[in-house]
Amino acid sequence: MRRPLLPPNFTALDAATVLVRWLLGGLFVYMGWQKALHPDLFQDLLREYHIVENALALNFIAISLPWFEVFCGLLLLAGIAVRGVALLLSAMLAVFTIVVLHRALGLQAAGAVPFCSIKFDCGCGGGPEFICAKLTENMLMILASVWLLAGRGRGFCACYALAAKPRI
Amino acid sequence: MIVGVAGLAFAFVANQLSPRGLNPGRNYHPGGEKADPAPQTAKAPSVSLTATNSRPPAASPEAALKERLEKNGLHLLQRDEVEKLFHDARRQQDLLMFIDARDEDEYHQGHIPGAYEFYHYYPDKYLADVLTPCQLAEQIIVYCTGGDCDDSESAALFLRDRGVPAAKLFIYGGGMTNWEAGRLPVESGARDSGSIRNPAP
Repeated sequence: MRRPLLPPNFTALDAATVLVRWLLGGLFVYMGWQKALHPDLFQDLLREYHIVENALALNFIAISLPWFEVFCGLLLLAGIAVRGVALLLSAMLAVFTIVVLHRALGLQAAGAVPFCSIKFDCGCGGGPEFICAKLTENMLMILASVWLLAGRGRGFCACYALAAKPRI
Repeated sequence: MIVGVAGLAFAFVANQLSPRGLNPGRNYHPGGEKADPAPQTAKAPSVSLTATNSRPPAASPEAALKERLEKNGLHLLQRDEVEKLFHDARRQQDLLMFIDARDEDEYHQGHIPGAYEFYHYYPDKYLADVLTPCQLAEQIIVYCTGGDCDDSESAALFLRDRGVPAAKLFIYGGGMTNWEAGRLPVESGARDSGSIRNPAP
């Protein structure tokens, strides 16, 4: 007997949420993979933040973060531990956003240029970006993570399919 | 919690298996903190930002670099000095060597003719080719992109820690950007490929 991939009463809203989950998962796989391909360049970008100066701590972040993002992205795509992943991503994205904003404010103050005209490679995996676009992107990803954290988007979840009892 | 632990385990295994993985226990930049790069701006590309508002400005980036290099026993060279050394007859006898500390792609796009490739993040790949000539050379000029790039310094310190005397090691601070701005010869492809742009008269 095949197990159902969709929960009962699967609505259009649920379908949209599944798409959001896949989009977020895909984004994290892509961005993590970009960094994992070049951990040397990622480490170099991390140094520009002047937040972590200890060499071992810097290595730890440069080694773990890219693959961790890939891992979380894959879990979201497959629909495994969605709420746990969403919680982690919300926390990570909140920290990243604060750190990137802090750096942008520093650059703006040093250069006396309009905030939204600041463009730099934040080490997020997408190359150099304008800060306002980056912050908007991060806010949208945080909203998506919180939405998933609320328990939406369970359709096409491996965990759901595995947990569902076959109908006899 | 479980996702976090599993994710970290996945990350460290993937790093070990990846050919571009980093060594968790190595200090890749023993020279210290990196200078702030100039960001690109939409309207004012000429704006040069060398310090954030949270740190005191150095006297000049060059003076700060020179002071930092000297602290590690290294010496800073300007383009006119490097150009003179490039035309020195000792270069043909491998008594004077250039080392390009940028990554493989950048090296193949263009490097100082005859420069050895040594990207310090993955030393095992290059060390066998570089270490013996370093021992034989009287003077070694290490460079990277220039500007805020400190890979030349990190590469030189790595070589120093492998037994190359610091007195031999010189850093070309302007790097490849400065070299190309002077319309000096640039070799593309592998070392001694013979494909030279701006050949010397």
